[in-house]
Amino acid sequence: MGGLPTNRTVNGFAVVDPKIMYVAMRDGLFKSTDAGETWKRTGGELKNLAAVAINPKKPNKVYVATMDGKIYMSADAGMKWKKQQ
Amino acid sequence: MKRKLYLGLLVGLFWLLRGSEVFAQQTDHKKSGQGFEHVHALAMDAEGRILFLGTHTGLFRSEDGGKSWKKVTLSAKHSHLDIMAVAHDPRDPKMIYVGTHEAGIFKTPDGGTTWGQANTGLGGLDVHGLALDPNVPSKLHAAVREKGDGIYRATDGGGKWVRVDDGPGGEVKVLTSVNISTGMGGIFLYAGTAEGLQRSPDCF
Repeated sequence: MGGLPTNRTVNGFAVVDPKIMYVAMRDGLFKSTDAGETWKRTGGELKNLAAVAINPKKPNKVYVATMDGKIYMSADAGMKWKKQQ
Repeated sequence: MKRKLYLGLLVGLFWLLRGSEVFAQQTDHKKSGQGFEHVHALAMDAEGRILFLGTHTGLFRSEDGGKSWKKVTLSAKHSHLDIMAVAHDPRDPKMIYVGTHEAGIFKTPDGGTTWGQANTGLGGLDVHGLALDPNVPSKLHAAVREKGDGIYRATDGGGKWVRVDDGPGGEVKVLTSVNISTGMGGIFLYAGTAEGLQRSPDCF
């Protein structure tokens, strides 16, 4: 699990493939492409994340929710994000 | 002259009405984006059409990628449910399971029109995680907190639950079955917890 902040709460988790995983935390969004062995922060300045979901038909489409209910969507697997409301 | 004035008034009225309609739509969207306290879960159905948001103030669904939301009523008896987990059947987009803080597990077979509780065998009703096996969607795991805490398993779509493990250390925030073989006949169960991400073979 290298690359994830240690001893911090993991609020959300989503998986495709199944090697590609996303973790939503207060510190931001983290992505693994090797089934959770290593993690890298993605999602730019996104913070205070409560949950993450993937579109099963279009796995590049990723959604995150902040703790207070703001929704952001990425159409390129987590690179660029757009606020939905 | 009179005709021109009349035409001008009509055009003005048209723009006024059109403007108010657009404003009303924006207000609706703005309204729908407010009022979420403590988001706990986000999930998309198997067809990639509907997003479900589990919050402290209930379950919401969106058909436009999260721009607008409608509240989903699970039960007339429980008007203010705290939704902790949402899990969908990967093969049947209409089959959805929801874990709540105070009333256990609800299940719908028709995309959310009718809901029923699925708590037989659970030692408690504070459900913090729900995971469907992607290979056998009728096999589920649930993480229960407080009374009767532990990991429960059902192999019949939530008909009967059996406690199978103490579960990970730290409060479970999210539970997911991941299709990675353990080499022991099962797959891995991943848990997002207050102590980080943890995983365990699901062959308890």
